Amino acid sequence: MPTYNPVLNPLNLREIKRYSGLDQYADFPSHLLDQACTEAYLLSHPKATWEIYEYDSTTATILAPEPLTLQAPKVIDYLSHSVQIVVMALTIGAELEMQVSKYFSSGEYTAGLLLDAAGTTAVEIAADQICEFIKNQAAQQGYLTLPRFSPGYGQWDITIQPVILQLANAEQINLVATESCMLVPRKSITAVIGFTANQCESNANYMYRDTTCPQCQQMNCLARKD
Amino acid sequence: MSTNELLSEKGLNHMINIFDGAMGTMLHNAGLPTGTCPELWNIEQAAAVIAIHQSYIASGADIIETNTFGANRIKLSHYGLQDKVSLINTAAVQAARAACLPNTKIAGSVGPTGKLIAPLGDLTFDHAYEVFFEQISALHQAGVDMILIETIIDIQEMRAALLAGKAATDKPIICQMSFGADGRTITGTDPATAAIILEAMGADVIGANCSLGPAQLLPIVEALAKTVSCPISIQPNAGMPKLINKQTIFPMTPEEMGTWASRLALAGASYIGGCCGTTPEHIKAIKEAVKHISAPLLPNLKQKNKVTALTSRSKTIYIGDGCPTAIIGERINPTGRKQLAADIKAGEFVSVKKEALAQLRAGAHILDVNMGVPGIDQSYAMKHAIQELSMLVDAPLVIDTTDAKALEAGLKAYPGRALINSVSAEPERLAEFLPLAKRYGAAILCLPISPSGVPTTALERLHIIRTIIEAALSVGLRPQDLVLDALVLTVAADPKAGSEVLNTLKIYRKHLGYPTTMGLSNISFGLPSRNIINATFCAMALSCGLDAPILNPYDSLMQDTLAASSALLGNDENGRAFSIQYAPTDPNKQIANRFVPQNIVEQIRQAVISGEKEAIIPLVKQALSEGVNSTTITEQGLTAAMNEIGTDFGTGRCFLPQVLLSAETMRAAFITIKEILPAHTVMNLGTIILATVKGDIHDLGKNIVAALLENSGFQVIDLGKDVSTETIVQATLEHNADIVGLCALMTTTMTQIDLTISALKAAGSTARTLVGGAVLTAAYATQAGADAYAENGVEAVNIAKKFLSK
Repeated sequence: MPTYNPVLNPLNLREIKRYSGLDQYADFPSHLLDQACTEAYLLSHPKATWEIYEYDSTTATILAPEPLTLQAPKVIDYLSHSVQIVVMALTIGAELEMQVSKYFSSGEYTAGLLLDAAGTTAVEIAADQICEFIKNQAAQQGYLTLPRFSPGYGQWDITIQPVILQLANAEQINLVATESCMLVPRKSITAVIGFTANQCESNANYMYRDTTCPQCQQMNCLARKD
Repeated sequence: MSTNELLSEKGLNHMINIFDGAMGTMLHNAGLPTGTCPELWNIEQAAAVIAIHQSYIASGADIIETNTFGANRIKLSHYGLQDKVSLINTAAVQAARAACLPNTKIAGSVGPTGKLIAPLGDLTFDHAYEVFFEQISALHQAGVDMILIETIIDIQEMRAALLAGKAATDKPIICQMSFGADGRTITGTDPATAAIILEAMGADVIGANCSLGPAQLLPIVEALAKTVSCPISIQPNAGMPKLINKQTIFPMTPEEMGTWASRLALAGASYIGGCCGTTPEHIKAIKEAVKHISAPLLPNLKQKNKVTALTSRSKTIYIGDGCPTAIIGERINPTGRKQLAADIKAGEFVSVKKEALAQLRAGAHILDVNMGVPGIDQSYAMKHAIQELSMLVDAPLVIDTTDAKALEAGLKAYPGRALINSVSAEPERLAEFLPLAKRYGAAILCLPISPSGVPTTALERLHIIRTIIEAALSVGLRPQDLVLDALVLTVAADPKAGSEVLNTLKIYRKHLGYPTTMGLSNISFGLPSRNIINATFCAMALSCGLDAPILNPYDSLMQDTLAASSALLGNDENGRAFSIQYAPTDPNKQIANRFVPQNIVEQIRQAVISGEKEAIIPLVKQALSEGVNSTTITEQGLTAAMNEIGTDFGTGRCFLPQVLLSAETMRAAFITIKEILPAHTVMNLGTIILATVKGDIHDLGKNIVAALLENSGFQVIDLGKDVSTETIVQATLEHNADIVGLCALMTTTMTQIDLTISALKAAGSTARTLVGGAVLTAAYATQAGADAYAENGVEAVNIAKKFLSK
């Protein structure tokens, strides 16, 4: 699959506030949020790549040239009615996170925190756009797509990351993982998306999107919704 | 010549023309094995292809499409057939010709490359052009009657294909985009915007196919019918697909398709066929349904209200009489701006992008882009500026250059319909710029300057502008491609400069009617308080018919004038937007909300709590000048404020960004005190080593903790991220640290916490250990041997203070 570099949709201020730990109604200078938003646009360079594979739900196997049998129960359940699977990788590049570090080094802590939050928002929005692209392509063949499911969430062990990157051909967008399975650049996402044929099956799986926080192990995450 | 006459001359007529249906399904039904190149059957199984064409002709198709949808070099390379482009396309046309009846027309089908054009993807525009040129040339030489570029999801790919088509053939070209359920292409182009771009570039027929069924495509036909003056083509799928037993099924019956076909025809389509899932039976039903319907008459080319549309990839703005004033931001121009010029010269476009965003925020609708820095490759600069801006903003762009190569580079790179700034009456400008405008479908800003010089009167300008218009129309540009410049000179040099511009606007409107623009700021060149002159002149010009001023959108007086003018000219109904923007605020309420304490130390404390890092500096200076002791400022002003902030954070009355803002304010205060009193002793509550552990590259949490600890009186030695146990132990011993703070974000790295704490103990360190990170818990911290766990940065400060108070 060739790479796709989407034009970034408008950033959601609500999400920037959430990721920075700011209450939606707190009294806070709006120009600082606007500045973070503007900078995120300037410093984000979204790039995505993905591959589509046949999926055998009976054996929970991604039928890649080197087949991958999934182990995590929640992912297997998520894909239980899927007939194909997309493995995707996306990054907004390293420039934004470098600026965050510069801000903290120079004592501009708030700008650093807000820009980091805006960067996380940008990654999520770009990922939403990629999912929309994939959904559109899938619909042309009659497939419905499930919400994306990323390693590290829903008890899907993060150690799967290197394999996911390989399946997504992430080297095309210069996205790699460290030995400890962290993505570099950090503002990046990998995910799988199941293709199903049935509206009822895809609706049942929407719970995976809306209940991500309760299923997540990161109890002290600033952006936790519950 | 009318459009109908033009189309007849090209072999297209104004009856409803019936296209054929799907080829892919039919080939599979005829036995095409999965994984085989469908286009190769033109050579290996020509009889089967001919039979399919014959079945569609027998069902009533007036036009059959060659089996060449994927017969471009890039798609054929998937099968190792990239060198057989000419052979396959020629064979396809021969197969179609073999099936034709005397009146059957052949459309050469040209599908997408499967790649996106840079910067959206990795295919260059020039490479895409070459690929399309190769295929369309082969189809032309093989004898097709028209070219059908279809199923294109990105406007830039369609632009490359259409440009290639125009160069490769003189046959009519039909351009069909694919739109999604939201009515836009996957890369964001709506039907009207696509139509404006493509019709300006010379597409003979514009339409849509695939992705959607006839019900979903009907609104697209309606949108196209409101926009184009050329025929409309539509080829829906047989309904929305369903997956049944792993097979994609398009469920719409031929009868249903027939019903929809008549609706599509009545909505304005004069070319109707079918895409995925359609069969000869569907085409038969379409033919039957529309046989009594005449093709819609095409709109008269002469428009009552002359408006000009400019577009980006995803947005259209109309300029002209009856349209709202469109503000063209002038600030992306390096003339007289050293830093911007330096950045452009260095190939850096961040400041260009910042200007773009800032101008749009300030109210600009369209952006002028000028890369005129002496000594640089302007083509490179313009291409990259246009690419970067087209990824960043959805405002239409004006390409402002005198360099023809830079102009072409910008026009090629721009996935929309640009305005060329500008085309004067100088022969070389006309000769170089008009063909580019025609080729790339751009609008032109006509500037009434001739080889004789700069005209000073309105009548002279009218005369010159007429010569430019005549030249433009003679190369094939259309009335809706024109914008007229009233030519602004400074009143500092000519007292009549202003009145002549106003006269020019009036006679342009009266005698020509095209939209008008002008570089507003020129009127005040050489005068003081230019903003007053500019804003006043703007109001005058708007009332004389100015449609799209080029100006500095940042000026607040200009913003006020534009807002007032919009209300006065009826573009802001009932002055509603003006009322919302300019409604007075209650001064008493402002006073009540802002209590200013008398005591300067108390003011400092409040400034820290409120995070006013600019205001704190003069307050600290004032306190010191009044003789307030620096220690008093620190303890009763700064530290007291941070303690209060910490308490409020703990009780959920304030949040992390506010805490950090207060910390920055405190830091600004400390720096100010140190500048004025170098001998001032900064308190040191203790030394803390901070690190994110080995293998962990996340440092946001650690950086926040470092910021808060430093501004709470601790000496922080931040070792950074991905720090080995050995480095942490060494630094702890070397600095005789009181506390070691360790962060880990991931389950894969938290075990380093255990290892590091063990190593510290083994090395004889007496430092207390404090751990934190999104994945850590108090229980984990305890089992790892840590002295404490902090859930957040504020808690880390409190724990550190407690450690060192014992």
